[in-house]
Amino acid sequence: MTDTSTLSRGGGHSSTPGRRRAPRRARASGLPAWSIPYVLLIPGLLVIGALLLWPLIQMVIISFQKVGLVQISGKKPATWLGLENYTNVLDNDIFWSSLRNTVVFAAVAVPLTLVLGTAVGVLLHRLGKKMSLFVIIGIMFAWAVPPVAQGVIWRWLFDAEAGVINWALNLLPDWLSSALFGRADWTGQPWLNDAWSIYMVLIICVVWASFPFIAVSVLAGLKGIPAELYEAARVDGSGPWRTFRKITFPLLKPVFAVLTVLSIIWDFKVFAQLYVLAGTSNREAYNLSMYAVTEAFKAPPKMGSGAAIAVVLTVILLIVTAAYIRQMFKQEEV
Amino acid sequence: MRIAKITAATVTTAALAVGLAACGSGEAPSSSPSAAASSAGGPKYAGKTLTFWRLGDSNPDAKAYTDELVAEFEKQTGAKVKVEWIPWPQVNDKFTAAAAGGAGPDVTEIGNDQVPLWQSQEALEPITDIVAGGDQAQIPKNLMGLETIDGETYAVPWGGGSRAVLYRADWFKELKIEVPKTWDELVAAAKKIQKAKGSDVDGFAFNGGSDANHLLGALAWTAGGEYAVKEGDKWVGKLTEPGFKEGFAQYTGLVTDGLSSKARLNQNTTEIRTRFSNNKVGMYLTASWDLATIEEESKGKIKGDKIAFFPLPSKAGGEAQSFLGGNDIAVWGTSEQKEAAKDFVKLASGKQWGVKYATDGGLLPVYPDALAALADDPAQAPFAAAFAKAKAFPADPQWTEANETKAVLQNAARQVIEGKATADEALAAANKELEDILNAS
Repeated sequence: MTDTSTLSRGGGHSSTPGRRRAPRRARASGLPAWSIPYVLLIPGLLVIGALLLWPLIQMVIISFQKVGLVQISGKKPATWLGLENYTNVLDNDIFWSSLRNTVVFAAVAVPLTLVLGTAVGVLLHRLGKKMSLFVIIGIMFAWAVPPVAQGVIWRWLFDAEAGVINWALNLLPDWLSSALFGRADWTGQPWLNDAWSIYMVLIICVVWASFPFIAVSVLAGLKGIPAELYEAARVDGSGPWRTFRKITFPLLKPVFAVLTVLSIIWDFKVFAQLYVLAGTSNREAYNLSMYAVTEAFKAPPKMGSGAAIAVVLTVILLIVTAAYIRQMFKQEEV
Repeated sequence: MRIAKITAATVTTAALAVGLAACGSGEAPSSSPSAAASSAGGPKYAGKTLTFWRLGDSNPDAKAYTDELVAEFEKQTGAKVKVEWIPWPQVNDKFTAAAAGGAGPDVTEIGNDQVPLWQSQEALEPITDIVAGGDQAQIPKNLMGLETIDGETYAVPWGGGSRAVLYRADWFKELKIEVPKTWDELVAAAKKIQKAKGSDVDGFAFNGGSDANHLLGALAWTAGGEYAVKEGDKWVGKLTEPGFKEGFAQYTGLVTDGLSSKARLNQNTTEIRTRFSNNKVGMYLTASWDLATIEEESKGKIKGDKIAFFPLPSKAGGEAQSFLGGNDIAVWGTSEQKEAAKDFVKLASGKQWGVKYATDGGLLPVYPDALAALADDPAQAPFAAAFAKAKAFPADPQWTEANETKAVLQNAARQVIEGKATADEALAAANKELEDILNAS
């Protein structure tokens, strides 16, 4: 949802150089020069407005109302509740555990995805042409798997009785398993039972599916760095780690900035994988999206409180993203 | 630097394109039932098609009954009836979608404890006139407590479904286990089964899923507990009283004593049944409609004298109290053919088809004389006995919220089983939450 606002920002940004050439064309069309960028923005804004802003406004309105099935089917008008949905949601323990799960998950999954993705990106850059292509195709398969299928795959791998993970852990020599984990028998270990182990599996699942995109983006950025810089660094006696810190990272900073924002947005609102892995019956494992969905659509549906949770999630995301982007621009100015 | 910026912009655009594509692939429009070609003239509803939702998994007996009923209705009125089977764990989601304007039924089977909820959502048509006269007038009024709201009746009781313990009679014979008469004997039997059949077999399956309260309720009520009692116009939770606590301890004990695996805290009766069909469960609490499905699921291997029922025993011995389950039949509020739908309900719940529904489907008939006749039937006697002592869950539209959506007691049990809270703490929190939910408007 919010990612599109990044587009309008990015789009506006990159169009600035065009302004210099604008006057010549403006004379031909009869529009004042200053208006050209705005006119060009109109189609995009209309699409964003209809597909994003309007539903978003509706969601905010619903979050202040009592909306259930009776109201949806038009038998009764929606009644205005003021802040009641919000106070109810904030009073509920499930909200706070969901918030904790959402934030902790993003805080772990985002850095993991970025670090792993960058590492693989750098590796791809150093590989030969054929090998690099081979690895890219391989990892892109993981990225191409739809979220629901990702959930199904990992749920099956971590199944307590028929799962490959427990089977593999049982294959470890007993002394090794005992030394590492303090136990030798993994038969029936219920991975998808406790909230913490559900989230462990979810982190693996999400990182697995999203690092290829980071890797390929970083690779694209690396291709753009002139080889002379690295040569110069080598001549000056810089080691690989130093080269990465002093050359690669600063030059790729804009790429990392965008990737970080995108990852934060994606990981904050992860839903399908969690829904498949944990189901709706374990409320300790809810994240905010999951809590919003159960409130809004499970019997008896309370779309008002569901919308209130969604608004809270949106606001959190906007704040995190805005703070991050601000930080980024500040650093660029310095 | 510049190249990096362009890369960044490209990455953003690509990501957004993916995001938009994901948004675009919404759900496919649900196809509405195609209207049957009409042959004009003749019977009353010739050319019309009713959609009828049957709940549960289709099994041969239930399917045969439904086919016969539909054929009879078609013969009498000329209307065609399209039957759709909705598995129990999906029922509330399907009803929700239908009430929100999606494709819904004209006539639906409905669990009796769901009637208050769907009546409050204005999803059911009042059919008081049907129960006022005809055969239906013989159905005892005390069986219509959940269906009658503010003087109007919204569903007709179709069959009573109390619960009993389904067990592997062949395993019991092989291991020389007697049918348990007390709770302790049941626990001993479960452990004996696990010892012989492997630790991945549940001796007595723990139900912590959507219908967990069928099991917990039976244990808690038997110990003298209650969920909540209406005092004046407010619900007062009773989860912290000794009776309920005792039943709750028995319930969580199923897992903490190892009778049922900790890996399956979320399983509901449907999932337990599938495991039972695969030789992974020794005993579980259910209704007799599972027999036909088990035979089908096990490909004919588990049937006949290999399985049997006994009434859930109480701690001191004697039968436990069962939950007053039952299925009703109702006219869906958004039906466009209410007259035909009402006639269908009238036919289906009349004495001939109503009693047949119950006996063919392994339920208890709601007509008193037919019920009395069952006391002599060895297969049905455990249920008839339980039905006599059956109790209902709090009759409140919000019960489903506490029972399934928020899964209040399942959550309390999970906390106790995982050692995150003592039973006292978990039940005190659950009690408050239950009160809040039931008293919310």
